[in-house]
Amino acid sequence: MEQGKKTKGRNYYDYSLLFLIIFLVCFGLVMIYSTSSYNAAKYYNDPTKFVRRQGILGVAGIIVMIVVSKIDYRLYIKKMPIIHVRPITLLYIFCLILQTAVLFLGEETGGSQRWIGIGGIKLQPSEITKICVVLFVSYIVQLAPKRLDNFFGFIRVVVFVGPLLALVVKENFSTALIILCIMVAICFVASRKKGYFIVSGIVFVALGALLVFGVSYRSERIDVWRNVETHPKGYQILQGLYAIASGGLFGKGLGQSMQKLGFIPEAHNDMIFSVICEELGMFGAIAVIMLFLLLLWRLFVVAINAPDLYGGLIATGVLTHIAVQVLINVSVVTNSIPSTGIPLPFISYGGTSLLVLLAEMGIVLSVSNQIQHER
Amino acid sequence: MNRYKSYNRKNLFIIVVCIILVVFFLIGRLIYLMVFASDEYAERAQDLHERERSIKAERGTIYDRNGTIIATNKPVSTISVIHNQIKDPEGVIKALSNALGLSEEAVRKRVEKYSSIERIKSNVDKETADYIRNLSLDGVMVDEDYKRFYPYSSLASKVLGFTGSDNQGIIGLEVEYDEYLQGVDGTILTLTTAHGIEIEDAAENRIEPIPGNSLYLSLDVNIQTYAEQAATKVMKAKNANNVSLIVMNPQNGEIYALVNVPEFDLNSPYKFTTELSQLYAGVDLTSAEKNTILNNMWRNPCISDTYEPGSTFKIITATAALEEKVVTLNDSFYCPGYKVVEDRRIRCHKTSGHGAETFVDGIKNSCNPVFMELGARVGAEKFYEYFDRLGLTKKTGVDLPGEANSIKHKLENVGAVELATMSFGQSFQITPLQLLAAASAVVNGGTLVTPHFGVEIANAEGTIIKKLKYETEENVISKQTSETMKSLLEAVVAEGTGKRAYLPGFRIGGKTATSEKLPRRSGKYISSFIGFAPANDPQVIAIVLIDEPQGIYYGGTIAAPVIKEVFDNILPYLGIEPVYSEKEIIENDIGTYEIPDLVNMSEEEVKKVLEAYPVGEVYYSGEGDTVVEQFPLPGEVVERNSGLILYLE
Repeated sequence: MEQGKKTKGRNYYDYSLLFLIIFLVCFGLVMIYSTSSYNAAKYYNDPTKFVRRQGILGVAGIIVMIVVSKIDYRLYIKKMPIIHVRPITLLYIFCLILQTAVLFLGEETGGSQRWIGIGGIKLQPSEITKICVVLFVSYIVQLAPKRLDNFFGFIRVVVFVGPLLALVVKENFSTALIILCIMVAICFVASRKKGYFIVSGIVFVALGALLVFGVSYRSERIDVWRNVETHPKGYQILQGLYAIASGGLFGKGLGQSMQKLGFIPEAHNDMIFSVICEELGMFGAIAVIMLFLLLLWRLFVVAINAPDLYGGLIATGVLTHIAVQVLINVSVVTNSIPSTGIPLPFISYGGTSLLVLLAEMGIVLSVSNQIQHER
Repeated sequence: MNRYKSYNRKNLFIIVVCIILVVFFLIGRLIYLMVFASDEYAERAQDLHERERSIKAERGTIYDRNGTIIATNKPVSTISVIHNQIKDPEGVIKALSNALGLSEEAVRKRVEKYSSIERIKSNVDKETADYIRNLSLDGVMVDEDYKRFYPYSSLASKVLGFTGSDNQGIIGLEVEYDEYLQGVDGTILTLTTAHGIEIEDAAENRIEPIPGNSLYLSLDVNIQTYAEQAATKVMKAKNANNVSLIVMNPQNGEIYALVNVPEFDLNSPYKFTTELSQLYAGVDLTSAEKNTILNNMWRNPCISDTYEPGSTFKIITATAALEEKVVTLNDSFYCPGYKVVEDRRIRCHKTSGHGAETFVDGIKNSCNPVFMELGARVGAEKFYEYFDRLGLTKKTGVDLPGEANSIKHKLENVGAVELATMSFGQSFQITPLQLLAAASAVVNGGTLVTPHFGVEIANAEGTIIKKLKYETEENVISKQTSETMKSLLEAVVAEGTGKRAYLPGFRIGGKTATSEKLPRRSGKYISSFIGFAPANDPQVIAIVLIDEPQGIYYGGTIAAPVIKEVFDNILPYLGIEPVYSEKEIIENDIGTYEIPDLVNMSEEEVKKVLEAYPVGEVYYSGEGDTVVEQFPLPGEVVERNSGLILYLE
């Protein structure tokens, strides 16, 4: 099939997307070094501890991304030769097992069990689940896109994703939210009728509100959000706000942040954007947001030019994933919404997270690779 | 396989538009935070990052009238700890408690307190500070500081006062002129991490301290020293509780010396004087008791305590009577040893009576009935008016804290008996300084001056920035009365009860007093004398009070010689040359002679030659028989009765 199409035109590869991603990863490394060196030197006597680990996994991730981008994404939904099972089904089952395992075997950090240790590498199963949901929902939807024109078609998708969502939401509300957004976005794009999205949207908001106010530590987050300056648990966010505000228009200059010196706990993690604001100022922060918009634009271009619905939906899912994560992260850091731990894609510290994210980008690049130039 | 259709593209476009809308909202939020809320948040962040270290301003120096430094600063150190930087708390606690002589608990409390910086001890001397600095303990800071230092340690202790651990005045002039002496502390603002560690290369924000202004006093170290010596001598000789002595310029109120012995050591003001430590040796004092004792030790009785002035007050009564013209110098009185006032027999100090006497004799004899008569002639209302005029109803306004005011009957309660006792200085109380100020007005021609110490304020560079001004009230009595009073008081010293204050060559006026302390018949007295010189043009006035002298307690006997001794020293020092009358020259063997040449003479020859000269002691130095050198040299003119040193070989 590939060879047949090749005769029609040259294969496309979205290099601008590739370089945008590599640039973001490198920028992330610089910021991680800037934010983590003080704490790393203080607690581990090694200022490059965090940046080294992120660098190694970043390089590995880029290699994985390029390799993945050369694998035709359509292979994932084809039955494998010997066992006659689709890889996507295997991935789905693998994710179900991981998510279940993490509930029982997971390492506890900050009140939630999210991590699982496999051979010395700490892994967040929810990261893989995100890719799984992108691929799996796209697969389900493209089987019969017309079914999504009514609500029951959408319910069918929910039923398939439901078990994963249920397992994730138990411990990690924010990831569940991302998964939900990805699912809804893919269905939305595939659907010709939109009335029921509004209805189900309201239902989901109600459901989300129930979760937010129902679970004790999450409703406390609402309190913190409303009273960030006085609430004792608002410390981290407040310190982030101090960092953002003290950046001013042009920032203090790279490496000159004061707030990273122990004031913002783990400044290299979810709060990294606040240090970007402090060091690079308002213009730097807006530039970073623009970079992400550019990335989204490239993903949009890949989606609308995708050779088939499956590829288009994958790109849609990835676009949603990146967008939601960036928006939630920036919102949390600027205290626009209650705090929830979501890292800034490509930039926040987290090796496996970066690796999985880059693999995900590889899939999109693979989609772009299948775009045919008609002329 | 399905194609990605145009409606899919449209749907995706809707999503992207939604995303962009949220992005715009977030950019708006960022602009708000980083532009509009920036100042407020950034300031709070700055507060969080900055640690303030103060640089102590040097306290101003205090100079006496000759420019001698009597209060200055010496460098000391303040030891503090920074909780976050301490690596070995136990070691720090041990080292600091050992080096600073503090209990381990006290140090532990401070070391374990979670604060940015905690002071352990201030005023640590240089050696100890250097020792601690050399231990280089993590988290221990040694900051340079100043400590007040008084080169003359106990001199004028109750006048100068001392400062506390923050270099703030506690008593005396240090309090009164605190606002001038205190400088403005500077600060060093440094940036620190959340763990309180200073960031090395961050620009320091430094505000330099402004040193305090200097204070120039009217006090004279030499006069104060003479006065203290004389006061101490009489206190020891008479085994008195304490002796107060004030020397002042009656013309302008400048105080040359103010002594209250025993004085305490200003450099360790919380240490008992030797008298007190003997008194309380072996006694276990509670801290409250110790505080009371210290407060009394620091008390300045010349201005804070009132007493019944007794006969010295007759100066005021006489002045009132002369001014009111109810008496002339030659009016005659009769003293049978008492005077009956209403139903009371009020005795004279001479119970056998002074007999018939003139007013001049009355004042020379310090005769109570004479003054009771004068008081009655003046009348209570007029008498009280002179209290007012001579400043005895208000505080003198001296530039020292804690001045007391006089205590007396209300005018409507003053009957004949009260008036009679008041006229010789009983049944009311004033401070010694009030009496001195009133007496000054009497002898300086009628100007009520404000006694004071402070003369000028200069900045740290030495430029005078303020001349201190004091109120004076002119013509409170007439010049004529003043002239009369001066001659009357000179007569008291020349021929009357004050004759022990007589000093050949100087014209001294004065008045003695012996006040029985309340309750009466307790056998406790305050013996006092007020004197001034030269009597015709007073340049200096002094008062001495001897509290509870043992043995002879008459003011004329024990207090007058103290003033004589002080005047003997300070009058020549103040440039008042003695003028001897012929009688004085003969009586006191005053004059000069020329030293003969005694070199190369033998001891015997020398003795022979010297018989013709009014020489004092002759000291021989060295072994041998021939004079090889002499001092003073031949031909020098020296005082009669002065000594001679001869070197023999």
